Amino acid sequence: MSEAAALPVRQAPRRSGDLLWKTAFRNIWRNRRRTWLTAGGIGFAVFLITSSISLQDGSYIDQRESATGLLTGHVQLVHPDYPDESKFEFFLGDLSDKLRAVRSAPGVVAATPRVQAFVLVSADERSFAAQVLGIDVAREAKIIRFFETLQEGEIPHAADEALIGTALARNLGAGVGDELVLLGSGRRGGVAAFALSVSGLFQTGIEELDRSLLLTSLATVQDGFGLSDEAHTIVVQGRGPLQARPLARELERTLGSSVRARPWQELMPEVEQGIELDRVSGDFMYGIIMILVGFSVVNTFIMVMFERTHEFGMLLALGLRPWSIIGMVQLEAFGLWVLGTLMGWLLALPLVIYFIVWGISFGDSMEQLAEQMYMPSSIHGAITVRAMLTAPVVMFFATQVAAFLPSLRIRSLNPVDALRQEA
Amino acid sequence: MSFALLMRLSLRNILRHRRRNAMLLAAIVVAVGGVTFMNSFIRGFQQDLRDSAVNNLTGHIKVFAPGYRDDPGIERSFYVAGDWRPDVSSGLLEGWAARIRIPAVIMSERETRGVQLVGVDPSQEGISFLGDAFYEGETLADENDKRIFVGQALVDQLDTKVGRRLVIITQGADGRNREAGFRIAGVYDAEGTGLEKAFVFTGRAALQKMLDTREVTEVSIRLTNDGAGSSVRSMLLSYFSGLEVMGWRELEPQIAAMFVFADTAIFIWFAIMMGALVFGLVNSLITAVMERVKEFGMLRAVGMRPGSVIVQVVIESSLLMMSGVALGLVVGWLLCQWMSEGLDLSQWASGVEMVGMRSVVVPRLYGADMMLVAGLSLVLGIVASLYPAWRAVKIKPLEAMRR
Repeated sequence: MSEAAALPVRQAPRRSGDLLWKTAFRNIWRNRRRTWLTAGGIGFAVFLITSSISLQDGSYIDQRESATGLLTGHVQLVHPDYPDESKFEFFLGDLSDKLRAVRSAPGVVAATPRVQAFVLVSADERSFAAQVLGIDVAREAKIIRFFETLQEGEIPHAADEALIGTALARNLGAGVGDELVLLGSGRRGGVAAFALSVSGLFQTGIEELDRSLLLTSLATVQDGFGLSDEAHTIVVQGRGPLQARPLARELERTLGSSVRARPWQELMPEVEQGIELDRVSGDFMYGIIMILVGFSVVNTFIMVMFERTHEFGMLLALGLRPWSIIGMVQLEAFGLWVLGTLMGWLLALPLVIYFIVWGISFGDSMEQLAEQMYMPSSIHGAITVRAMLTAPVVMFFATQVAAFLPSLRIRSLNPVDALRQEA
Repeated sequence: MSFALLMRLSLRNILRHRRRNAMLLAAIVVAVGGVTFMNSFIRGFQQDLRDSAVNNLTGHIKVFAPGYRDDPGIERSFYVAGDWRPDVSSGLLEGWAARIRIPAVIMSERETRGVQLVGVDPSQEGISFLGDAFYEGETLADENDKRIFVGQALVDQLDTKVGRRLVIITQGADGRNREAGFRIAGVYDAEGTGLEKAFVFTGRAALQKMLDTREVTEVSIRLTNDGAGSSVRSMLLSYFSGLEVMGWRELEPQIAAMFVFADTAIFIWFAIMMGALVFGLVNSLITAVMERVKEFGMLRAVGMRPGSVIVQVVIESSLLMMSGVALGLVVGWLLCQWMSEGLDLSQWASGVEMVGMRSVVVPRLYGADMMLVAGLSLVLGIVASLYPAWRAVKIKPLEAMRR
């Protein structure tokens, strides 16, 4: 008997929990217009923020790929003194041993040596300063995108052929097939002089490269400057731009103190910083949007409180505890959030898919600008955790707080007074 | 029904729900304040873009010999009389400079680099970044100064310092190469290493002597007001017939494109903010109408015209919007004052430089932008009140009063 009497008492809270869910759900649909407008606000924020972050994050991926893929690669191995003073005599010795070690290191997809030096390039009467880069053309063609920027002619096939930038070609008054004479200071102050013929012209859109870079075969530059099994840089391609930092640490550990490994972020700080700047300014904007929508949710719950004072008074009179009513209101807020988030996601999805599949391409005037910032000519969206969850998670807390603040009044509600209020 | 009465009714209705309307007001203030603040940064950024483009030896307008831009060299030069000055009223003209700017090779004992060798008259260079750059050592004394003024980044690359000598090789007017030693007078520090690596300055007359010419390769003109460009251009075109006269927009098309985009960005930003605001606004207004069904019914029953009902709702919305806009503009203005030292972006210095900005962005608040935000917000306030007003008109007096 005593057990049977205790049972309904223990069951009661559970039933009232169910009841709260049900009541909350019904309440959401009581004022449909308001529900749609409030959820619409949440949905707008989720839609806008999800699709913009998707495009932002996608463009970061594109930008990193494009920046590292053009010429720099993911990691560059250099002489420990080279980063501070990029002088010719700071080259890496025992190149073949190092290459072998790097290529067999985990996470390395490809590795290729480069020699670089500043030279005076002359064509007939005209002379300009240029940076000559000796590379393993056949191997590099597989890992960097640089050769796609070829405007005229072909990539160097023979050892004495060179690729120069369009601006340098214009300055020199040289074209495909013309002969260039390179003059530089080689090892131990010796003079390095050799002749090359122009096999093609490239145009990257990055002025410094177009104006002052000359690309030719590794062996030619090594011979010309008196290097043997030596090079300035080993360019390493890892699994992706974001793995560059750990890869660089790993390579430094493997190769010891004779080598500095520099991830692309160190070589092109402007790219990562540009991304960071874009992200911060985006976040500022998203913050304001979410604050705005948060206000509108607070407003909705102020109205809810006002209209349902009578009802809450009755519930209190019936014996419901204030915190249960507050809980119910929180559940209503949760319902609104679910509705808004689903709306926002549903609206954002087609757009995000469009961004991913087709992307956005820049107009003609912006394209040059994009090139200068190492951006590809079109950017694509991406589905990332940040894109999909930022707005929903923030809005979840915002709606809960927005509902909680006005409903605190329920605690001090006097049932008798409340019931006297107009329904 | 008199407008004054409608006004009073609307005002009372707003004050009836203080908490709700205070929230709505706060939302409007955040939206308008946020837009104003952000716009001032977009404007600041835009201004920076143009200033650094114009400062970059470009000026607002530039005169070149035909073909110089494709193939810069001393052979594509022109003569400017010593007593020439632009025929522009002094109020419009900030300054002008005639320069020689040619590609050159610069060598220290250790390193070789390619640069632009610029022959200037230092007294004219108040119009370019050279005029106010920080420097170490001395600036060039006059146009006969045979020393050079070099950027910090280039000095680092060449591993040299003030007082040392550098060898410069460049092409003379006869097409032959000239090679000469120059002593470094001073080292300048520009915004961004790009400029520092690119430009080496020396006296114009001294350079002319070395190249065997009396000509220059460019005349750059800086105006006090970008808008005056076209009249000045036609003046220059008629004086320098046969030469190319170009504005900074043509010379720096990428920056011009960004400049134009910033105008659009202001609208996009506004549209997004107002989009987020409009849900809350409509929501409040509809509630304000629906809870007064009885009242509107009665007012209609005692003879209020449907038009007056609409006006009343629109006034309510407009009043809220106006006070929100006013407060929002004040908040935006205060934020700009607070940030008047500028937002320090030096943490992302190289990224900022890549985009063509300076590392400190100073917000710039324009009256016209504030008016635009205010005007568009008020229009939005009226548009947002139309649906609630229409709901109010649909209220049937009899049914409403029976409730």
